[in-house]
Amino acid sequence: MKTQKFKRPLAWASLIGLLSVTNLTAQDGNLTEDEAFFYEEVDEGADVYDPFESVNRFTFEFNDFVFSNTIQPLVDAYTAITPDPLEEGASNFFHNLRYPVRLASNLLQCRFKGAWVETGRFAINSTVGFVGILTPADDYEGFAPIKSEDVGQVFGAWGIGEGPYLVLPFLGPSNLRDLAGFFGDRSLNPLKEPLSMIDDWEWEWQLATSGTGYIARSPQIIERYKQLKGSSIDPYSSLRSGYAQYRRGAVAE
Amino acid sequence: MKFFSYKTFLVLGLLLVASVSAQEAQKEKLQRMIDAALDVIYSDTHTTLSANEKQAQVREKLESSYDLDVMIRYAIGKNWRRMNEREQIEVLELVKQLVLKAYMIGLDGKDRPSITLGELTQIGRARIEIESTMVLDAKTYYILYRLRQMDSGWQIYDIVAENVSVSSNYRGQIDDHFRKGSGADLIARLKNLLAEDEINEDTKI
Repeated sequence: MKTQKFKRPLAWASLIGLLSVTNLTAQDGNLTEDEAFFYEEVDEGADVYDPFESVNRFTFEFNDFVFSNTIQPLVDAYTAITPDPLEEGASNFFHNLRYPVRLASNLLQCRFKGAWVETGRFAINSTVGFVGILTPADDYEGFAPIKSEDVGQVFGAWGIGEGPYLVLPFLGPSNLRDLAGFFGDRSLNPLKEPLSMIDDWEWEWQLATSGTGYIARSPQIIERYKQLKGSSIDPYSSLRSGYAQYRRGAVAE
Repeated sequence: MKFFSYKTFLVLGLLLVASVSAQEAQKEKLQRMIDAALDVIYSDTHTTLSANEKQAQVREKLESSYDLDVMIRYAIGKNWRRMNEREQIEVLELVKQLVLKAYMIGLDGKDRPSITLGELTQIGRARIEIESTMVLDAKTYYILYRLRQMDSGWQIYDIVAENVSVSSNYRGQIDDHFRKGSGADLIARLKNLLAEDEINEDTKI
């Protein structure tokens, strides 16, 4: 009986002690738990391998100049003269044309459901949606839009590392893996096969469609870029971190 | 052996239930805060307000629910120690203004987004994540709110939009800044940014 009486407070004390230890371990020196939390490392996107930072920063400045002085005025004119539905239709049309890229990227990752959805969407949008200008597939059960896959994501899913971070002239942020993926995308895209542009007699046509596709896609990109630039202490660093996190998330999904 | 009797389990069970319901209450609080902020921007009763007035009111709504300093302090990380007290206070205020401005500009000219909160997940001791989907201009975005129980209660410390963590993004920028710059430089940079893109008083969102 005596032992029992002695044990009870001892057990409570142990429990309280255990809880206090959890609290104390979270503290760093004299820091309160809240302070220690503020100083903890963040994992996502913090570590981007950027050995060519000085060159990349220079290319970033170049792209910024081109965006602000050439592409933005073009895009502003395009959005001003194009009614919103037409603008959206053009964007849908070029997105629909990239179906082979999305199909192959889904299949290469064994994402058969994704391949099926993309195929269904392409079939519906290309026919009922007037060559992809409209997206009636959105309303069909099981064919709601899914996230686009590309060859860079395929390489990521296969376990290939990102490699160094790169800023490409005119194209913006990338890394070695996504640059290789970019050429893969182009070889699968019926409009943008790069090597044929050199000798192909139809290069003017390909350039015109590529340029139109670029402009049709640009309003959203420009808007996001302007937002990023307006809210960033260091736009280069912000874009690098944002790109790395976004791509890592896309590969992980 | 009687120490861990049914009473002990009952007490522990009650504590667990109380903790879960306290977390669920955070979801309701977050939804209320989002709705209140969007009401300021989109409600018919606020159409006469200028963009700056709306920004001030949005800030008031956010601050009545959460301590915005928590997210900014988390984004600043260890760089906090590289600034003196005066600089720390000024940086907190300027970053707050910058983030609010970005939020307002992001919604400029767009229809009211529809935001639906989803699953709440405990992600560690005193930390939760609340999933949400935002439909803006017919596009769906996935946004994650991360909250931690601080001395001042549950506070948002990170927002992850389409896999991009706001805190991590700013942490990277501020780390880069302090590799070469000082607290005073950071303040100058923030002031420039705010002055460059001053919200047009005539803008009606």
